Amino acid sequence: MNLSGILVITAPDQVEACMAQLNALPGVDVHHSDIASGKIVATQEAEKTEDEVEGLKRIKALPGVLMAEMVYHYFEEDKALEAQMPADLDKYQGLKEIPVFKNKS
Amino acid sequence: MSITRRDFLKTSIAAATAASVGISLSPAAKAAAGKIDKDWRWDKGVCRFCGVGCGIQIATKNDRIVATKADPDSPVNRGLNCIKGYFNGKILYGEDRLTQPLLRMKNGKFDKKGDFMAVSWERAFDEMEKQFKKAYTELGPTGVAIMGSGQYTVQEGYASAKLMKAGFRSNNIDPNARHCMASAVAGFIQTFGIDEPAGNYDDIEHTDTMVLWGANMAEMHPILWSRIADRRLSNDNVRVVNLSTYSNMSSDLADLEIIFKPQTDLAIQNYIAREIIKRDAVNWDFVKKHCVFATGPYDIGYGMRDNDKFAFAAEKDTQAKQNKIKLDADEAIAQRRKAGEQVDQTNSGSAGKHWLIEFENFKQAVEPYTLDYVAELAKGDTDESLEQFKAKLKQLADLYIEPKRKVVSFWTMGFNQHQRGTWVNEQAYMNHLLLGKQAMPGNGAFSLTGQPSACGTAREVGTFAHRLPADMVVMNPKHRAMSEDIWKLPANTLNPKVGSHITKIMRDLEDGSVKWLWVQVCNPFQGTANANHWITAAREMDNFIVVADAYPGVSTKVADLVLPAAMIFEKWGAYGNAERRTQMWREQVPPPGEARSDVWQVLEFSKRFKLKEVWDEKSIPGLKDKDFADNTLPDVLDAAKQMGYSADDTLYDVLFANAENKKFKWPDPIAKDHDNHTVAILGDGWFAEKALFEEYARFGRGHAHDLGPFDLYMHDDVRGLRWPVVDGKETTWRFNEKYDPYVTKGSGIEFYGKAFKALPTGDLNGVTGKDKVDLSGKAKIFFRPYAAAVEQPDENYDMWLCTGRVLEHWHSGTMTRRVPELHRAVPAALLYMHPRDADARGLKRNDVAWLESRRGKIKAVVETHGGRNRMPPGTVFVPWFDEGVFINKLTLDATCPISKQTDFKKCAIKVYKA
Repeated sequence: MNLSGILVITAPDQVEACMAQLNALPGVDVHHSDIASGKIVATQEAEKTEDEVEGLKRIKALPGVLMAEMVYHYFEEDKALEAQMPADLDKYQGLKEIPVFKNKS
Repeated sequence: MSITRRDFLKTSIAAATAASVGISLSPAAKAAAGKIDKDWRWDKGVCRFCGVGCGIQIATKNDRIVATKADPDSPVNRGLNCIKGYFNGKILYGEDRLTQPLLRMKNGKFDKKGDFMAVSWERAFDEMEKQFKKAYTELGPTGVAIMGSGQYTVQEGYASAKLMKAGFRSNNIDPNARHCMASAVAGFIQTFGIDEPAGNYDDIEHTDTMVLWGANMAEMHPILWSRIADRRLSNDNVRVVNLSTYSNMSSDLADLEIIFKPQTDLAIQNYIAREIIKRDAVNWDFVKKHCVFATGPYDIGYGMRDNDKFAFAAEKDTQAKQNKIKLDADEAIAQRRKAGEQVDQTNSGSAGKHWLIEFENFKQAVEPYTLDYVAELAKGDTDESLEQFKAKLKQLADLYIEPKRKVVSFWTMGFNQHQRGTWVNEQAYMNHLLLGKQAMPGNGAFSLTGQPSACGTAREVGTFAHRLPADMVVMNPKHRAMSEDIWKLPANTLNPKVGSHITKIMRDLEDGSVKWLWVQVCNPFQGTANANHWITAAREMDNFIVVADAYPGVSTKVADLVLPAAMIFEKWGAYGNAERRTQMWREQVPPPGEARSDVWQVLEFSKRFKLKEVWDEKSIPGLKDKDFADNTLPDVLDAAKQMGYSADDTLYDVLFANAENKKFKWPDPIAKDHDNHTVAILGDGWFAEKALFEEYARFGRGHAHDLGPFDLYMHDDVRGLRWPVVDGKETTWRFNEKYDPYVTKGSGIEFYGKAFKALPTGDLNGVTGKDKVDLSGKAKIFFRPYAAAVEQPDENYDMWLCTGRVLEHWHSGTMTRRVPELHRAVPAALLYMHPRDADARGLKRNDVAWLESRRGKIKAVVETHGGRNRMPPGTVFVPWFDEGVFINKLTLDATCPISKQTDFKKCAIKVYKA
């Protein structure tokens, strides 16, 4: 499971509207804000791993968002997740004749 | 995981995030921030990826990294991370980490055609030593090589360079940084006489104008880009210009986007110089006090081989241009010659020579670069009108010239990976120096880097075929003598003949002049242009390839022996970023299995060599130097004995575990109970990383490259220091009296670098006066002409190919592709092309296409919908991170003849339906 802490910056007069939009996104919760500096702190939870990165893009695309960047990353060991490693790493174009790794144990 | 636990984590993470970015919290929230990590150990670190050098904080629990966060106290990233930086912890935990040495074997013996079998470290080193000694006995020091990296820690690079140069007496060590910023180095050395930028990242907040030349910072340097965006959005007067050969993400924020034809940046810069003169905007006060004018030869070749013995049939026509070219109409104007003239490339072996000229010569040279000529030549998007393009060029010149405007020019690979990379770097300084907008807060030409320690290790330590630490070079007898003194070597131990640069090492493998290679901290068989040659050479020739890496990639696949390497937070280290900031970290977690640090690997291997095997007489083909017999390095064993060494001492005893270094004891309180597996396994009680750093720092102290003491960098409140560090104080802007203690008092600005500061005089055609003029304290304003790319689209190969990176992946993707989130975001490299180009070839989005050049062919999936990269007709872009879309099989291994850096940004290909 991945949880991220995200900083969002918007114009001070749009902080309220922006917080509402963020809270409406699945997996996103607003926790703190500072109207004077236009800063909002949200967390994002990614049930599916695809959402992790797409989620930030989704936040950046919200109207009024000037900037959104990740600040904090928490992850727990998740063997199931790591097992889904890049499947195409062994598809070497033109390298097929080269022996692959054996006997790693 | 329970909902309660999840909510608790969210509250804590939000509080920690808010604290990082300076939002004030209620006492309850503050308490929450502290709860999540009550049993975690936090420590400072630096990001593993690009050259920006962002600070991060790493939390460990039970010898495992459990969280990372952007460091709020880092002056570089100020509490922000980019998408890659965010996953620094995860790159350690890919399923397929290499954890044991692997040797190709058949029937229990090494066999080049065998399969990889797990072996012990001792068995691995036995074979490595046996194969080294075979090549070294047969070919001498030039028959062995190391490929290093801008990802080396300072200590790793230093240990490898010292083993090669002082131990094996070979200069065949060169980093993948050669592909990354060699042109920047050559530009700095020729212009200022000393390497690395005058300014720093704070220039962003001090300037009004930021011009990007071939640097897609939005994707490649996202944290600096966030600072640029902040500056632009908070000030209406600030302008951002993006010059590129295609439209990219940096264009989204830019006020002005200029799409130019590949290679014509050379002409655009001369147009700006001509405008500066024409508008009487030269800052004469600055130029007369601090600058001279210079130029060099034009007929310098393209860094390819001078014969076609190893060329594929299809590449022979491109290769032939190394020796002779026919000037096209545009080059003829640019170089004041006749179109169609055949020009022998007579200076391909002396490309770097240069001489002084007068301002009048300079003015005459830039005169042909009129708006009409340059606009016609440089317009890169056929859909744009010539009038609009002219207006944009004029606007660009206006921004540079406007007297009250401060200007910073940023560049990376667009300039550096360029057949005239040194020239185009020097042209950036040309315009800043003419205007007097250099070496001041908010004013300067700023070369960015792509690797985390391209500056700190590759350049400053000098892991190049021609370099020694602190900007010294092997060709200079004084520099060799100083190095021999610090390293306690007999005189003339060091080899004065420049070794092979990284592309040449590949060529040496192919022609059999190198038979033993150790690859460290990089993936050169994926990253070197024209890869089909080098993969065949590695697999089919009589040679032995050792690759130390953390994950399998193309290079480990072609290796004979794979050594499992410890990754960044599994070892102690230091990196130096693009603003001269040196940052250090402690070992946080143990490496997995039998993986070990590169420092340990180098030191352990050095135990297998006795002085009598390496310091006797050695043959160096082609060595010619007044201090040496031809083709020969002398036997220095007698001199060594007089210095107290024995012929049976090992290189480990002499170079590394000597009395001086053993004074640095382990354990050391600075470790704060962190481990050091390198020291533990060496087992002789000295703190290798600290000793190596302190020994290395002796080269630069007092020579304008001063580093602080090791312990200073480890202090809790230090977030790296920008060198020169004098009396514990860093230097923000170099060459400027106000900030730089090396500038002579009262001079204001002083370009005090010492290299190439005595030159003969001449005119645009060559040297006329042999007496050398002293230029101490001055920078050079170079005239460099436009020259066409050596390979351009023609009837058969009808499109330009440009390669590069994407935000989510770093370099060849061996680390970032192990992070599921990053892999899923960008699973494969796409072929970005204009929809009309696709239509004309019967292709549509998501079709599979063949891409073919003179050197090879591969398949890729077509992307026409723009998105991050919007191509003009006639040009395609393919990122190189994906080994399944092996684009470097197509690219051309032409280099800048001065810097020897490959041009990965332009060659000709054809695209057709698969």
